[in-house]
Amino acid sequence: MMSEIGLRSLRVVDATKLGDELVAALRPGQVVEDRHGVSRRLPRYFYEIPSWEDALEIEVTPSFSLWEFMDVDLREEEGVRTFPRYVPLAVTVLAAHLEVFRRETDTYVHIAANGGYRSPAHRLSANASPHMWGTAVNIHRVGDDDLDGQEAIERYARLARQVLPALWIRPFGEEPGEADDHMHLDVGYLVVEPRGVEPDDEIDEEDA
Amino acid sequence: MAPSEATSTPDLHYAIRSAAEEAGAKAVAVAFHDYGSRTAWCLEGDRSFHAASTIKVAVLAVVYALIDEGEISPLSRLHVRNRFASAADGSPYRVGAGRDANAAVHAQRGKTMRIGDLAHHMITTSSNLATNLLLDLAGVERARELLDRMQVTGVDLRRGVEDEKAFEAGINNRVTAAGLVSLFRAIHEGEHHSEESRDAMLETLHAQEFRSAIPAGVPDGTRVAHKTGEISTVSHDAGIVTPSGGDSYVLAVLTEWEPDNGSRRETIARISRLVYDHLDAVAALEQVEGEGDDE
Repeated sequence: MMSEIGLRSLRVVDATKLGDELVAALRPGQVVEDRHGVSRRLPRYFYEIPSWEDALEIEVTPSFSLWEFMDVDLREEEGVRTFPRYVPLAVTVLAAHLEVFRRETDTYVHIAANGGYRSPAHRLSANASPHMWGTAVNIHRVGDDDLDGQEAIERYARLARQVLPALWIRPFGEEPGEADDHMHLDVGYLVVEPRGVEPDDEIDEEDA
Repeated sequence: MAPSEATSTPDLHYAIRSAAEEAGAKAVAVAFHDYGSRTAWCLEGDRSFHAASTIKVAVLAVVYALIDEGEISPLSRLHVRNRFASAADGSPYRVGAGRDANAAVHAQRGKTMRIGDLAHHMITTSSNLATNLLLDLAGVERARELLDRMQVTGVDLRRGVEDEKAFEAGINNRVTAAGLVSLFRAIHEGEHHSEESRDAMLETLHAQEFRSAIPAGVPDGTRVAHKTGEISTVSHDAGIVTPSGGDSYVLAVLTEWEPDNGSRRETIARISRLVYDHLDAVAALEQVEGEGDDE
Protein backbone atom coordinates (compact mmCIF):
# COMPACT_ATOMS: atom_id res chain seq x y z
CA MET A 1 0.00 0.00 0.00
CA MET A 2 1.36 3.38 -0.95
CA SER A 3 2.18 5.69 1.98
CA GLU A 4 0.36 8.93 2.64
CA ILE A 5 3.60 10.86 2.27
CA GLY A 6 4.16 10.21 -1.39
CA LEU A 7 6.49 11.27 -4.11
CA ARG A 8 3.95 13.89 -5.20
CA SER A 9 4.33 15.68 -1.89
CA LEU A 10 8.00 16.34 -2.56
CA ARG A 11 9.15 19.69 -3.83
CA VAL A 12 10.70 19.66 -7.29
CA VAL A 13 13.64 22.03 -7.51
CA ASP A 14 15.74 23.54 -10.24
CA ALA A 15 19.12 22.60 -8.79
CA THR A 16 20.89 25.48 -10.54
CA LYS A 17 19.20 27.68 -7.94
CA LEU A 18 20.51 25.77 -4.91
CA GLY A 19 23.44 26.97 -2.81
CA ASP A 20 26.93 27.16 -4.27
CA GLU A 21 28.19 24.07 -2.47
CA LEU A 22 25.33 21.93 -3.75
CA VAL A 23 25.58 23.31 -7.26
CA ALA A 24 29.29 22.48 -7.27
CA ALA A 25 28.52 18.91 -6.18
CA LEU A 26 25.38 18.20 -8.23
CA ARG A 27 26.54 20.22 -11.28
CA PRO A 28 22.97 20.57 -12.59
CA GLY A 29 22.69 20.92 -16.36
CA GLN A 30 26.45 20.80 -16.81
CA VAL A 31 28.23 18.68 -19.36
CA VAL A 32 30.43 15.76 -18.32
CA GLU A 33 32.18 13.16 -20.44
CA ASP A 34 31.72 9.45 -20.14
CA ARG A 35 34.72 7.13 -20.24
CA HIS A 36 34.52 7.01 -24.02
CA GLY A 37 34.78 10.80 -24.26
CA VAL A 38 31.13 11.32 -25.14
CA SER A 39 29.63 14.52 -23.68
CA ARG A 40 26.50 14.13 -21.56
CA ARG A 41 24.38 16.83 -19.92
CA LEU A 42 23.59 16.22 -16.25
CA PRO A 43 20.03 16.52 -14.91
CA ARG A 44 18.80 19.86 -13.68
CA TYR A 45 15.57 19.04 -11.85
CA PHE A 46 15.56 17.12 -8.61
CA TYR A 47 13.20 15.93 -5.90
CA GLU A 48 13.99 17.57 -2.58
CA ILE A 49 13.83 15.03 0.26
CA PRO A 50 13.50 16.71 3.66
CA SER A 51 14.68 13.86 5.91
CA TRP A 52 15.81 10.24 6.03
CA GLU A 53 12.48 9.38 7.65
CA ASP A 54 10.74 10.71 4.54
CA ALA A 55 13.11 8.73 2.32
CA LEU A 56 12.26 5.59 4.27
CA GLU A 57 8.56 6.19 4.03
CA ILE A 58 8.13 7.37 0.46
CA GLU A 59 7.41 4.57 -1.97
CA VAL A 60 8.48 5.28 -5.53
CA THR A 61 6.72 2.10 -6.60
CA PRO A 62 4.92 -0.51 -4.50
CA SER A 63 8.19 -2.44 -4.01
CA PHE A 64 10.82 0.28 -3.87
CA SER A 65 11.19 3.10 -1.39
CA LEU A 66 13.10 6.27 -2.12
CA TRP A 67 15.89 5.56 0.39
CA GLU A 68 17.00 2.56 -1.66
CA PHE A 69 18.07 4.88 -4.47
CA MET A 70 19.96 7.29 -2.23
CA ASP A 71 21.86 5.09 0.22
CA VAL A 72 25.48 6.27 -0.06
CA ASP A 73 28.55 6.02 2.12
CA LEU A 74 31.20 8.53 3.14
CA ARG A 75 32.55 8.63 -0.41
CA GLU A 76 29.65 10.89 -1.30
CA GLU A 77 30.25 14.61 -0.82
CA GLU A 78 29.21 15.58 2.69
CA GLY A 79 26.90 18.38 1.52
CA VAL A 80 25.07 15.93 -0.73
CA ARG A 81 24.63 13.54 2.20
CA THR A 82 23.10 16.27 4.35
CA PHE A 83 19.33 16.80 4.38
CA PRO A 84 17.49 18.12 2.55
CA ARG A 85 18.90 15.81 -0.11
CA TYR A 86 18.28 15.74 -3.84
CA VAL A 87 17.58 12.96 -6.34
CA PRO A 88 17.01 13.48 -10.11
CA LEU A 89 13.41 13.15 -11.28
CA ALA A 90 14.31 10.28 -13.62
CA VAL A 91 14.63 7.99 -10.62
CA THR A 92 10.91 7.28 -11.08
CA VAL A 93 11.51 5.86 -14.55
CA LEU A 94 14.23 3.61 -13.22
CA ALA A 95 12.01 2.49 -10.34
CA ALA A 96 9.19 1.61 -12.75
CA HIS A 97 11.57 -0.67 -14.66
CA LEU A 98 12.78 -2.23 -11.45
CA GLU A 99 9.22 -2.88 -10.36
CA VAL A 100 8.68 -4.95 -13.51
CA PHE A 101 11.87 -6.87 -12.77
CA ARG A 102 10.84 -7.32 -9.14
CA ARG A 103 7.49 -8.81 -10.16
CA GLU A 104 9.20 -11.20 -12.55
CA THR A 105 11.58 -12.43 -9.84
CA ASP A 106 8.73 -12.62 -7.31
CA THR A 107 11.15 -11.82 -4.50
CA TYR A 108 13.08 -8.97 -2.93
CA VAL A 109 15.55 -7.05 -5.08
CA HIS A 110 18.31 -5.40 -3.05
CA ILE A 111 20.12 -2.30 -4.31
CA ALA A 112 23.68 -1.92 -2.96
CA ALA A 113 24.87 1.13 -1.06
CA ASN A 114 26.41 3.60 -3.53
CA GLY A 115 24.43 1.66 -6.12
CA GLY A 116 21.64 4.15 -6.78
CA TYR A 117 22.00 7.89 -7.36
CA ARG A 118 25.55 9.20 -6.95
CA SER A 119 26.40 12.84 -7.44
CA PRO A 120 29.22 13.88 -9.78
CA ALA A 121 31.17 14.72 -6.60
CA HIS A 122 30.97 11.14 -5.31
CA ARG A 123 34.44 9.60 -5.17
CA LEU A 124 33.28 6.74 -7.41
CA SER A 125 32.08 9.21 -10.07
CA ALA A 126 35.22 9.43 -12.20
CA ASN A 127 33.34 9.77 -15.51
CA ALA A 128 29.75 10.30 -16.50
CA SER A 129 27.72 7.29 -15.45
CA PRO A 130 23.92 6.85 -15.39
CA HIS A 131 24.24 6.70 -11.60
CA MET A 132 24.72 10.50 -11.83
CA TRP A 133 21.36 10.74 -13.62
CA GLY A 134 19.55 8.59 -11.04
CA THR A 135 18.89 6.05 -13.79
CA ALA A 136 21.16 3.18 -12.73
CA VAL A 137 21.24 0.64 -9.93
CA ASN A 138 23.67 -1.96 -8.72
CA ILE A 139 21.76 -4.97 -7.45
CA HIS A 140 23.75 -7.12 -5.04
CA ARG A 141 21.11 -9.60 -3.98
CA VAL A 142 17.85 -11.03 -5.33
CA GLY A 143 15.89 -13.02 -2.76
CA ASP A 144 18.40 -15.44 -1.26
CA ASP A 145 20.82 -15.19 -4.18
CA ASP A 146 23.97 -13.12 -3.79
CA LEU A 147 24.88 -11.63 -7.15
CA ASP A 148 28.62 -12.07 -6.68
CA GLY A 149 29.42 -14.64 -9.33
CA GLN A 150 29.01 -15.20 -13.03
CA GLU A 151 26.20 -17.75 -12.83
CA ALA A 152 23.87 -15.67 -10.65
CA ILE A 153 24.62 -12.37 -12.39
CA GLU A 154 24.05 -13.79 -15.86
CA ARG A 155 20.92 -15.70 -14.81
CA TYR A 156 19.23 -12.55 -13.52
CA ALA A 157 20.56 -10.50 -16.44
CA ARG A 158 18.81 -12.89 -18.84
CA LEU A 159 15.61 -12.54 -16.86
CA ALA A 160 15.84 -8.73 -16.87
CA ARG A 161 16.46 -8.64 -20.63
CA GLN A 162 13.45 -10.87 -21.26
CA VAL A 163 11.03 -8.51 -19.56
CA LEU A 164 12.84 -5.21 -20.14
CA PRO A 165 14.72 -5.39 -23.45
CA ALA A 166 15.61 -1.68 -23.36
CA LEU A 167 17.64 -1.96 -20.15
CA TRP A 168 21.42 -1.78 -20.33
CA ILE A 169 23.05 -4.48 -18.22
CA ARG A 170 26.77 -4.53 -17.70
CA PRO A 171 28.37 -7.80 -18.79
CA PHE A 172 30.00 -10.00 -16.19
CA GLY A 173 33.73 -9.45 -15.83
CA GLU A 174 36.56 -7.73 -14.00
CA GLU A 175 37.38 -5.05 -16.55
CA PRO A 176 36.11 -1.45 -16.62
CA GLY A 177 32.55 -1.43 -17.93
CA GLU A 178 31.94 -4.91 -16.50
CA ALA A 179 30.71 -6.07 -13.09
CA ASP A 180 31.61 -9.15 -11.09
CA ASP A 181 30.06 -8.57 -7.67
CA HIS A 182 26.69 -7.03 -8.58
CA MET A 183 24.33 -6.58 -11.52
CA HIS A 184 24.33 -3.08 -12.96
CA LEU A 185 21.10 -2.06 -14.71
CA ASP A 186 20.39 1.32 -16.23
CA VAL A 187 17.93 3.05 -18.51
CA GLY A 188 20.53 5.34 -20.04
CA TYR A 189 21.29 9.04 -19.67
CA LEU A 190 17.69 9.94 -19.24
CA VAL A 191 16.57 13.38 -18.05
CA VAL A 192 13.09 14.18 -16.80
CA GLU A 193 11.91 17.78 -16.78
CA PRO A 194 8.80 18.92 -14.94
CA ARG A 195 5.85 20.50 -16.73
CA GLY A 196 5.94 24.27 -16.99
CA VAL A 197 9.60 24.64 -17.82
CA GLU A 198 9.94 27.45 -20.32
CA PRO A 199 12.56 27.55 -23.08
CA ASP A 200 14.12 30.67 -21.57
CA ASP A 201 14.90 28.57 -18.51
CA GLU A 202 17.69 27.06 -20.58
CA ILE A 203 21.02 27.14 -18.82
CA ASP A 204 23.56 29.62 -20.03
CA GLU A 205 26.13 27.63 -21.98
CA GLU A 206 28.87 29.22 -19.90
CA ASP A 207 27.41 27.53 -16.85
CA ALA A 208 27.57 24.23 -18.62
CA MET B 1 49.97 -22.15 35.80
CA ALA B 2 52.90 -22.19 38.25
CA PRO B 3 54.87 -18.97 38.65
CA SER B 4 58.26 -18.94 36.95
CA GLU B 5 61.51 -18.31 38.75
CA ALA B 6 63.07 -16.00 36.16
CA THR B 7 63.96 -12.70 37.80
CA SER B 8 67.05 -11.46 35.99
CA THR B 9 67.10 -10.76 32.27
CA PRO B 10 69.57 -13.60 31.48
CA ASP B 11 67.22 -15.93 33.37
CA LEU B 12 64.25 -14.56 31.43
CA HIS B 13 66.10 -14.99 28.15
CA TYR B 14 66.90 -18.60 29.02
CA ALA B 15 63.41 -19.37 30.31
CA ILE B 16 61.72 -18.04 27.18
CA ARG B 17 64.08 -19.90 24.89
CA SER B 18 63.49 -23.09 26.83
CA ALA B 19 59.71 -22.70 26.74
CA ALA B 20 59.78 -22.17 22.99
CA GLU B 21 62.16 -25.05 22.33
CA GLU B 22 60.22 -27.47 24.52
CA ALA B 23 57.06 -26.66 22.53
CA GLY B 24 58.82 -27.09 19.20
CA ALA B 25 58.71 -23.47 18.04
CA LYS B 26 60.95 -22.74 15.08
CA ALA B 27 61.52 -19.17 16.22
CA VAL B 28 60.50 -16.87 19.04
CA ALA B 29 60.86 -13.14 19.56
CA VAL B 30 59.75 -11.20 22.61
CA ALA B 31 59.87 -7.52 23.49
CA PHE B 32 58.41 -5.51 26.32
CA HIS B 33 58.37 -1.98 27.63
CA ASP B 34 57.60 -1.66 31.32
CA TYR B 35 56.12 1.64 32.47
CA GLY B 36 56.77 0.81 36.13
CA SER B 37 60.52 0.29 35.95
CA ARG B 38 60.83 2.35 32.75
CA THR B 39 62.80 -0.44 31.16
CA ALA B 40 62.63 -2.12 27.80
CA TRP B 41 63.88 -5.58 26.91
CA CYS B 42 63.83 -7.81 23.91
CA LEU B 43 64.82 -11.21 22.64
CA GLU B 44 65.25 -11.22 18.86
CA GLY B 45 63.35 -7.94 18.95
CA ASP B 46 64.24 -6.99 15.38
CA ARG B 47 63.53 -10.38 13.81
CA SER B 48 60.90 -9.95 11.11
CA PHE B 49 57.82 -12.20 11.01
CA HIS B 50 54.75 -12.43 8.81
CA ALA B 51 52.40 -10.10 10.69
CA ALA B 52 49.23 -12.21 10.37
CA SER B 53 46.37 -10.37 12.10
CA THR B 54 48.58 -8.26 14.36
CA ILE B 55 48.73 -5.83 11.41
CA LYS B 56 45.13 -4.93 12.25
CA VAL B 57 46.41 -2.88 15.19
CA ALA B 58 48.30 -0.70 12.71
CA VAL B 59 45.10 -0.25 10.69
CA LEU B 60 43.28 0.68 13.91
CA ALA B 61 45.88 3.36 14.70
CA VAL B 62 45.60 4.70 11.14
CA VAL B 63 41.79 4.82 11.20
CA TYR B 64 41.79 6.84 14.41
CA ALA B 65 44.48 9.14 13.04
CA LEU B 66 42.16 9.83 10.10
CA ILE B 67 39.32 10.45 12.53
CA ASP B 68 41.50 12.94 14.41
CA GLU B 69 42.32 14.67 11.13
CA GLY B 70 38.60 15.12 10.53
CA GLU B 71 38.60 13.06 7.34
CA ILE B 72 36.18 10.51 8.73
CA SER B 73 34.14 10.00 11.88
CA PRO B 74 33.45 6.83 13.90
CA LEU B 75 29.84 7.34 12.82
CA SER B 76 30.67 7.68 9.10
CA ARG B 77 29.15 4.89 7.09
CA LEU B 78 31.14 2.73 4.68
CA HIS B 79 29.79 0.43 1.97
CA VAL B 80 30.47 -3.21 2.83
CA ARG B 81 31.77 -4.52 -0.47
CA ASN B 82 33.87 -7.66 -0.69
CA ARG B 83 36.10 -6.72 -3.60
CA PHE B 84 39.66 -5.46 -3.26
CA ALA B 85 42.59 -4.77 -5.56
CA SER B 86 45.62 -7.02 -5.11
CA ALA B 87 48.84 -5.28 -4.10
CA ALA B 88 50.59 -7.52 -6.63
CA ASP B 89 48.87 -6.51 -9.87
CA GLY B 90 45.67 -4.67 -9.03
CA SER B 91 43.49 -7.64 -9.93
CA PRO B 92 40.36 -8.08 -7.81
CA TYR B 93 40.21 -10.52 -4.91
CA ARG B 94 37.75 -11.27 -2.14
CA VAL B 95 37.85 -12.25 1.49
CA GLY B 96 36.54 -15.81 1.85
CA ALA B 97 33.53 -15.76 4.13
CA GLY B 98 34.33 -19.28 5.29
CA ARG B 99 37.87 -18.31 6.26
CA ASP B 100 36.92 -15.19 8.13
CA ALA B 101 36.48 -15.49 11.89
CA ASN B 102 33.68 -12.94 11.75
CA ALA B 103 30.44 -13.52 9.85
CA ALA B 104 28.71 -10.34 11.04
CA VAL B 105 30.47 -8.05 8.58
CA HIS B 106 29.91 -10.43 5.65
CA ALA B 107 26.20 -10.41 6.52
CA GLN B 108 26.14 -6.66 5.85
CA ARG B 109 27.41 -7.00 2.28
CA GLY B 110 25.76 -4.41 0.05
CA LYS B 111 24.78 -2.25 3.03
CA THR B 112 26.78 0.28 4.99
CA MET B 113 28.41 0.00 8.40
CA ARG B 114 29.82 2.61 10.74
CA ILE B 115 33.59 3.07 10.79
CA GLY B 116 33.64 2.57 14.56
CA ASP B 117 31.76 -0.71 14.27
CA LEU B 118 34.07 -1.96 11.53
CA ALA B 119 37.10 -1.11 13.68
CA HIS B 120 35.51 -3.01 16.57
CA HIS B 121 34.92 -6.12 14.42
CA MET B 122 38.44 -5.86 12.96
CA ILE B 123 39.99 -6.13 16.42
CA THR B 124 37.64 -8.03 18.69
CA THR B 125 36.80 -10.88 16.33
CA SER B 126 39.59 -10.24 13.82
CA SER B 127 37.31 -9.59 10.85
CA ASN B 128 39.38 -9.73 7.68
CA LEU B 129 36.62 -8.07 5.65
CA ALA B 130 36.42 -5.13 8.07
CA THR B 131 40.20 -4.80 7.93
CA ASN B 132 40.32 -4.63 4.16
CA LEU B 133 37.44 -2.17 4.00
CA LEU B 134 39.19 0.17 6.41
CA LEU B 135 42.61 -0.17 4.80
CA ASP B 136 41.09 0.31 1.36
CA LEU B 137 39.48 3.51 2.60
CA ALA B 138 42.72 4.84 4.09
CA GLY B 139 44.99 3.64 1.27
CA VAL B 140 48.22 1.76 1.97
CA GLU B 141 50.50 4.71 1.18
CA ARG B 142 48.56 7.07 3.41
CA ALA B 143 48.51 4.47 6.16
CA ARG B 144 52.27 4.08 5.96
CA GLU B 145 52.73 7.85 6.14
CA LEU B 146 50.59 8.03 9.25
CA LEU B 147 52.48 5.18 10.91
CA ASP B 148 55.74 6.97 10.13
CA ARG B 149 54.34 10.09 11.71
CA MET B 150 53.55 8.06 14.83
CA GLN B 151 57.23 6.99 14.82
CA VAL B 152 56.18 3.37 14.62
CA THR B 153 59.07 1.28 13.33
CA GLY B 154 59.22 -2.44 12.64
CA VAL B 155 55.65 -2.58 11.31
CA ASP B 156 55.66 -2.90 7.54
CA LEU B 157 52.10 -2.46 6.26
CA ARG B 158 51.99 -3.42 2.60
CA ARG B 159 48.56 -4.83 1.75
CA GLY B 160 45.16 -6.07 2.82
CA VAL B 161 44.66 -9.53 4.28
CA GLU B 162 43.95 -12.65 2.18
CA ASP B 163 45.65 -11.12 -0.85
CA GLU B 164 46.94 -14.43 -2.22
CA LYS B 165 48.53 -12.96 -5.33
CA ALA B 166 50.53 -10.55 -3.21
CA PHE B 167 51.50 -13.42 -0.89
CA GLU B 168 52.78 -15.43 -3.86
CA ALA B 169 54.69 -12.35 -5.05
CA GLY B 170 56.31 -12.00 -1.63
CA ILE B 171 54.42 -8.80 -0.75
CA ASN B 172 53.48 -9.30 2.88
CA ASN B 173 52.75 -7.35 6.02
CA ARG B 174 55.64 -7.91 8.41
CA VAL B 175 56.31 -7.04 12.01
CA THR B 176 59.01 -7.33 14.61
CA ALA B 177 58.42 -7.73 18.33
CA ALA B 178 60.04 -4.34 18.96
CA GLY B 179 57.89 -2.87 16.20
CA LEU B 180 54.65 -4.06 17.75
CA VAL B 181 55.79 -2.69 21.10
CA SER B 182 56.40 0.69 19.46
CA LEU B 183 52.92 0.54 17.91
CA PHE B 184 51.16 -0.31 21.16
CA ARG B 185 53.22 2.35 22.96
CA ALA B 186 52.05 4.91 20.40
CA ILE B 187 48.46 3.95 21.14
CA HIS B 188 48.87 3.74 24.92
CA GLU B 189 50.88 6.93 25.33
CA GLY B 190 48.50 8.87 23.11
CA GLU B 191 50.97 11.43 21.76
CA HIS B 192 49.74 11.02 18.21
CA HIS B 193 46.00 10.72 18.81
CA SER B 194 43.35 12.72 20.60
CA GLU B 195 42.40 11.54 24.07
CA GLU B 196 39.02 10.46 22.73
CA SER B 197 40.60 8.36 19.99
CA ARG B 198 43.14 6.85 22.38
CA ASP B 199 40.34 5.83 24.73
CA ALA B 200 38.30 4.38 21.88
CA MET B 201 41.25 2.31 20.62
CA LEU B 202 42.04 0.99 24.10
CA GLU B 203 38.40 0.15 24.73
CA THR B 204 38.32 -1.79 21.46
CA LEU B 205 41.56 -3.63 22.23
CA HIS B 206 40.31 -4.49 25.73
CA ALA B 207 37.19 -6.02 24.16
CA GLN B 208 39.30 -8.63 22.37
CA GLU B 209 37.42 -11.93 22.32
CA PHE B 210 40.41 -14.23 21.67
CA ARG B 211 41.94 -14.60 25.14
CA SER B 212 44.00 -17.77 24.89
CA ALA B 213 47.49 -16.29 24.52
CA ILE B 214 48.85 -13.36 26.57
CA PRO B 215 45.75 -13.06 28.82
CA ALA B 216 45.84 -16.79 29.59
CA GLY B 217 49.27 -16.36 31.15
CA VAL B 218 48.50 -13.60 33.63
CA PRO B 219 46.55 -13.72 36.91
CA ASP B 220 42.86 -13.02 37.09
CA GLY B 221 42.14 -9.33 37.43
CA THR B 222 44.90 -8.37 35.01
CA ARG B 223 43.59 -6.31 32.11
CA VAL B 224 44.98 -6.96 28.63
CA ALA B 225 44.31 -4.79 25.58
CA HIS B 226 45.69 -6.90 22.77
CA LYS B 227 45.54 -8.46 19.32
CA THR B 228 46.43 -11.98 18.33
CA GLY B 229 47.63 -13.07 14.91
CA GLU B 230 47.72 -16.54 13.51
CA ILE B 231 48.32 -18.21 10.17
CA SER B 232 49.55 -21.74 9.50
CA THR B 233 53.18 -20.99 10.33
CA VAL B 234 53.07 -18.15 12.85
CA SER B 235 51.26 -17.37 16.07
CA HIS B 236 51.57 -13.99 17.77
CA ASP B 237 50.05 -11.87 20.47
CA ALA B 238 50.84 -8.31 21.46
CA GLY B 239 49.22 -5.84 23.76
CA ILE B 240 49.15 -3.71 26.87
CA VAL B 241 49.05 -5.63 30.15
CA THR B 242 47.82 -3.87 33.27
CA PRO B 243 48.20 -5.95 36.44
CA SER B 244 45.71 -5.34 39.20
CA GLY B 245 47.18 -2.51 41.27
CA GLY B 246 50.35 -2.44 39.18
CA ASP B 247 51.89 -0.48 36.34
CA SER B 248 51.19 -1.36 32.74
CA TYR B 249 53.63 -2.94 30.36
CA VAL B 250 53.54 -3.46 26.61
CA LEU B 251 54.40 -6.97 25.48
CA ALA B 252 54.82 -8.62 22.09
CA VAL B 253 55.37 -12.36 21.65
CA LEU B 254 55.97 -13.57 18.09
CA THR B 255 56.45 -17.22 17.24
CA GLU B 256 57.00 -19.36 14.17
CA TRP B 257 55.96 -23.03 13.89
CA GLU B 258 55.55 -26.04 11.72
CA PRO B 259 51.96 -25.91 10.40
CA ASP B 260 50.65 -28.81 12.49
CA ASN B 261 51.90 -27.73 15.90
CA GLY B 262 49.05 -27.45 18.38
CA SER B 263 50.71 -25.89 21.41
CA ARG B 264 51.39 -22.45 20.04
CA ARG B 265 48.91 -20.45 22.13
CA GLU B 266 49.86 -22.30 25.30
CA THR B 267 53.48 -21.41 24.62
CA ILE B 268 52.65 -17.73 24.23
CA ALA B 269 50.65 -17.91 27.46
CA ARG B 270 53.64 -19.49 29.18
CA ILE B 271 55.95 -16.76 27.90
CA SER B 272 53.39 -14.17 28.97
CA ARG B 273 53.57 -15.61 32.50
CA LEU B 274 57.38 -15.57 32.48
CA VAL B 275 57.36 -11.87 31.61
CA TYR B 276 54.63 -11.11 34.12
CA ASP B 277 56.54 -12.80 36.92
CA HIS B 278 59.78 -11.18 35.89
CA LEU B 279 58.28 -7.68 36.00
CA ASP B 280 56.46 -8.49 39.23
CA ALA B 281 59.79 -9.48 40.78
CA VAL B 282 61.44 -6.31 39.43
CA ALA B 283 58.66 -4.21 40.94
CA ALA B 284 58.99 -5.99 44.29
CA LEU B 285 62.75 -5.45 44.25
CA GLU B 286 62.34 -1.77 43.46
CA GLN B 287 59.88 -1.42 46.30
CA VAL B 288 62.34 -3.02 48.77
CA GLU B 289 65.13 -0.76 47.53
CA GLY B 290 62.85 2.26 47.77
CA GLU B 291 61.95 1.41 51.34
CA GLY B 292 65.69 1.07 52.10
CA ASP B 293 66.28 4.57 50.76
CA ASP B 294 63.70 5.94 53.16
CA GLU B 295 65.55 4.68 56.26
